[in-house]
Amino acid sequence: MKSYVKIALFVVVFFAIAGILAALIMFNKKHPDTSKAKPDFVVTAVTLQKEFEDNEKTASARYINKILEVSGTISSISESDNNSLNISLKTGSDISSIICTFLSPVDKSKFKQGDDISLRGECSGFLMDVLLKNCSAVTASK
Amino acid sequence: MKRLFLFSLLLTLVLGANAQKFMTKNGYIGFFSHTPMEDIKADNNQVVGVLDISSGEMVYQALIKSFHFDRALMEEHFNENYMESDKIPKSIFKGKITNLASVDFTKPGTYDVTVDGDLTIHDVTNKISTKGTIEVVSGGINASSKFNIVPEDYKIAIPGVVREKIDKNLGVTVTMKFTPVAK
Repeated sequence: MKSYVKIALFVVVFFAIAGILAALIMFNKKHPDTSKAKPDFVVTAVTLQKEFEDNEKTASARYINKILEVSGTISSISESDNNSLNISLKTGSDISSIICTFLSPVDKSKFKQGDDISLRGECSGFLMDVLLKNCSAVTASK
Repeated sequence: MKRLFLFSLLLTLVLGANAQKFMTKNGYIGFFSHTPMEDIKADNNQVVGVLDISSGEMVYQALIKSFHFDRALMEEHFNENYMESDKIPKSIFKGKITNLASVDFTKPGTYDVTVDGDLTIHDVTNKISTKGTIEVVSGGINASSKFNIVPEDYKIAIPGVVREKIDKNLGVTVTMKFTPVAK
């Protein structure tokens, strides 16, 4: 075989394998592990809610799809049938909070209403509350 | 506009707060797709729901980005390619229980209901009618329903290569645990 054919063959095979590998990696891509990921923003629950309340458009552009580390006081804890846990954080508003959804089964007993907590999650936007998904606790004061 | 709607919803809630209104911010909507090639499931536990038991009216709102898929790539495609959630972040259902008289909200028990309403997904509104149950429990009301939707009815374009992996009829599950609006 001529050497340039060999090289061409090698290149083709190389790219084919690289392509398959890349596809596999993409397909099996994991959600970011928010307990380890570096947050894009560190804010308090009060500030975060106020920013969305004051100007949803600006706050959306800044925060949506970003990993936020939010600190605040737990106002309520709600468990759902599908193993997920919602923790709401107090804000300056009576009707609007920060709702953080934990998906993997977490030890609910770690959290108590009234606790100060710091948690990380991906911001999905604002409904009546600022919503974070894929959350994990950074600190849970006891 | 949607902001205004939310605000007026809130206002009526606060002003007209009495034992007639029930609410949840931790409602669940999930959907399931089954094909021989793949099973796909997505969950959203951040649904806002309001139920007025005097009129039987109910309103649900959800953020598309709050749906969680096991595979991150699927969640990405769902948001970016199919639902365009940056452009159209919310989905809304406004409906009414049509057989309200058959539900006794003062007596704990499970009641079968039919709900008619407008479902808006991907900025397309369709009328739907579905069966569900209302469960009166101490301290609240649970509502649940299962129905099917066809993505194409909501102008959600799914390319041919992927189409076979996604059920033509997506199974939707709704589970709400309402509590009385305080005050």
